[in-house]
Amino acid sequence: MVKIEHGRLQEHPIVDFKRGKEVTIYFNGQPIKAYEGETVAAALYAAGVRVFSRSFRWHRPRGFFCAIGKCSACMMEVDGIPNVRTCKVYVRDGMQVRTQSGLPDAEKDVFSIFDDVIDRVFPHGSHYSKFTTSKKARDFMVKRMRKFTGFGNPPRAVFQGKAEVEEIETDVLVVGGGPGGMSAAINAGKYGAKVLLVDENPFLGGQLIKQTHRFFGSAKERAGTRGIRIAGILEEELNNIENIEVRKETRVFGIYNGEAGAYQRLNDDEGKLLRIRAKKIVVATGAYERTLIFENNDLPGVYGAGGVQTLMNVYGIKPGNTGLIVGSGNVGLILTYQLMQAGVNVAAIVEAMPRIGGYFVHAAKVRRLGVPIYVRHTILKAIGRKSVEGAVIAKLDDRWQPIPGTEKEIKCDFICVAVGLSPTHELLYQAGCEMKFVPELGGIVPLRSKFNETSVKGLYVAGDVAGIEEATAAIMEGRIVGIHAAVTLGYGGEEAKKELEEAVREIEEFRSGPFGERIVNGLKKCTLESEVVS
Amino acid sequence: MKVAVIGGGVAGLSAAYFLAKSGVDVKVFEQKYLLYGASGRNSGGLTLQFNNEPLIRLAKRTLELYDSIQSEVGFNFLLRKDGYVKIASERDEAKLKEEVEFQRRNGVNVELVEPEFVRVLFPDINTSAFSVASYFADGGVVFPWPVVWGLAKGCRELGVEVYDYTPANVELKGNELIVKANGESYKVDYVINAAGAWSNEISKQVGVELGNKVYKEEICVTESLKPYVDPYVMDISTGVYFSQSMRGEIVGGILGSETTTLETKASLDFLTSYAKRITELVPKLRGMAILRQWAGLYDVGRNGMPVIGETKVKGFIQLNGFGRHGMSLALAAGEGVAELIMKGRSSIIEPFKP
Repeated sequence: MVKIEHGRLQEHPIVDFKRGKEVTIYFNGQPIKAYEGETVAAALYAAGVRVFSRSFRWHRPRGFFCAIGKCSACMMEVDGIPNVRTCKVYVRDGMQVRTQSGLPDAEKDVFSIFDDVIDRVFPHGSHYSKFTTSKKARDFMVKRMRKFTGFGNPPRAVFQGKAEVEEIETDVLVVGGGPGGMSAAINAGKYGAKVLLVDENPFLGGQLIKQTHRFFGSAKERAGTRGIRIAGILEEELNNIENIEVRKETRVFGIYNGEAGAYQRLNDDEGKLLRIRAKKIVVATGAYERTLIFENNDLPGVYGAGGVQTLMNVYGIKPGNTGLIVGSGNVGLILTYQLMQAGVNVAAIVEAMPRIGGYFVHAAKVRRLGVPIYVRHTILKAIGRKSVEGAVIAKLDDRWQPIPGTEKEIKCDFICVAVGLSPTHELLYQAGCEMKFVPELGGIVPLRSKFNETSVKGLYVAGDVAGIEEATAAIMEGRIVGIHAAVTLGYGGEEAKKELEEAVREIEEFRSGPFGERIVNGLKKCTLESEVVS
Repeated sequence: MKVAVIGGGVAGLSAAYFLAKSGVDVKVFEQKYLLYGASGRNSGGLTLQFNNEPLIRLAKRTLELYDSIQSEVGFNFLLRKDGYVKIASERDEAKLKEEVEFQRRNGVNVELVEPEFVRVLFPDINTSAFSVASYFADGGVVFPWPVVWGLAKGCRELGVEVYDYTPANVELKGNELIVKANGESYKVDYVINAAGAWSNEISKQVGVELGNKVYKEEICVTESLKPYVDPYVMDISTGVYFSQSMRGEIVGGILGSETTTLETKASLDFLTSYAKRITELVPKLRGMAILRQWAGLYDVGRNGMPVIGETKVKGFIQLNGFGRHGMSLALAAGEGVAELIMKGRSSIIEPFKP
């Protein structure tokens, strides 16, 4: 049995949690125990806080969700500075944290009454069309609206952090230190290109670090090794190449004509604005989780699989007592296993397809643990007022419609939606890449050459941002773009050109199996026009 | 009578709206989507603080029209008259004083005020960052999107066809004006060139040299805060301006500069200079996250004045060159153009004749 103290796992069969010094933070004035190295959001979660904010308009409760600084549900006021993403900020002794947009706080918000009535009185968009005919009514409405709108409190303190500008020139900039990005950096760097690899997290490895399970795939790409170990191996390789510089906690916010803008966090009080001029840029920003449409899907306690993995495997915090998993792909199956490993019950797995999506070995393991898998079922709604208390599932007919009378209530205190990923494509749009919706690749992806160069010259993609696949493919794509970037900059000579050909051949072979068919079909749809051989 | 309006921005839609009210058959052609041009990208400042009389008149009438149009079309433009403040540092003090005197002589209720006065309006402002200000109490901010949506709604209800994603070309055949769009040819009595930054090109199609200068300006917004910035603040010495939107974002930018290419890519240079200047002006905005940034294009007519009226080509009417003040000027200009077409003349737009 896994020991739990203060909501935190004390022992884990695979991961060894190293916790820092104990500190006290104040949440809406109340002291809360936390450990250095934890994010504010993780510490609050461990302390049992479930409502992190209220939604902008209807004041619906919002809780811990993505855990990676993307969803904005965890924004709070920290030491007088509003709209701080608490999942990206580390606890500090004496820190004052307050919830926003709720009276008196997010938990007890009196405006939550809006959620019940506002749709009847003020359906969406009606603030433009109701009470408009007289000037008096309009002025009155505008004044009232201004009382209720807005999210964070006006700043109470002047942010004291120091920030300087640093200008950097490099051959290759790699954005994202997951498997794809690290592989790109290694392969460009090993032929002599000057490489800067940045990642917004304080660690490298991307989503590999959540993957405590062993890998599949070809032996050459480290099958049989656990994801978290692969991250370590790649990082060591990176560090052994002198001309690669790595900057962690560095977030690229825009690519402007070959120049990237980034913010590097140095410590609590210091940061840097980086202006990075790069001859080649590799975007390897990965993916984020899709969610499903069902009633109450925004209730605290409805998570993406990644959020739960971060909570559990990175911070060692127990997500809840009993979970319901939606989606039986590999992620859903592995997550189920990881939860059980951490001593969390899994009530059931729900799958809309008539069969289990993931690999047989994972499914067998989960079955052995006694978790029922409901195929041809879907989730209809989450039950609960401020956080998940249960869920209703139902059987689907051949036209994917729920069959009346088959509803079943499942008792659970959190729901994990593991229905796949979508590429994190924002940076590519912003940079001006030609994009296309390709369902086989998981969403909106850039058109690219066979070396993964996009329509913006010198801008490459590698890994999930190029199309949802798996870490092995990301590493292979990273190798291709890394070498291609180096070769086109004049590094590596014949040897590099030969390896490039080999790398392209290898990924083609890797995708030639039944699992790769979908990807190959998807890739055909997003080949740059200049590359299409007619 | 048939009229084609090129450009679905505030100016074009206003002209279409007033013409349709008089029963004219109007078609509006927008090359992209409504809001694609400057009308959808500006910061919504409304003021009468101009330095010549015809502009003040146009702006005054526009402010009146905001009231009547919102009532007529049943749409709330989220307009707030919480004041428009121009601030200046020492070197521009004389210029601002002169401007204020001129405006007061022309009946604009504007006051020259001390920095301390501005601090009462907006407590977070750094009063040492400027030395004097001009305050116009009846100015303010409007959300440009509902202005365009509301005008388009009003137009459609009056039977105007508003075509989006429909680039149009104007041809002059003898004395006939023909607009080609949607693969069709429309023979019209009047063409109104309200194409903003694209007006030069439209004008060229009928052989009229317009010569408007095109400017690119950039804006960004922070994440949403509860509303606490009431006035629109414009620093005439640094070109930085800011206000707060109804969603609570701090909307701010820097005055634009002339460009030769019609592209709207946002830049890192803007972001860094804006961040530096805005945090000098409002130190508490340090630490705020920028939510998004964008750029827009506007055109400026001769001597910085709009170009409004009929050209040497009979029936071809200019309604462009408003610079960054389209929201403050264009409603009245559109009304004026409608009057010109219906009655043969309009005194309010007379001074802006091509």
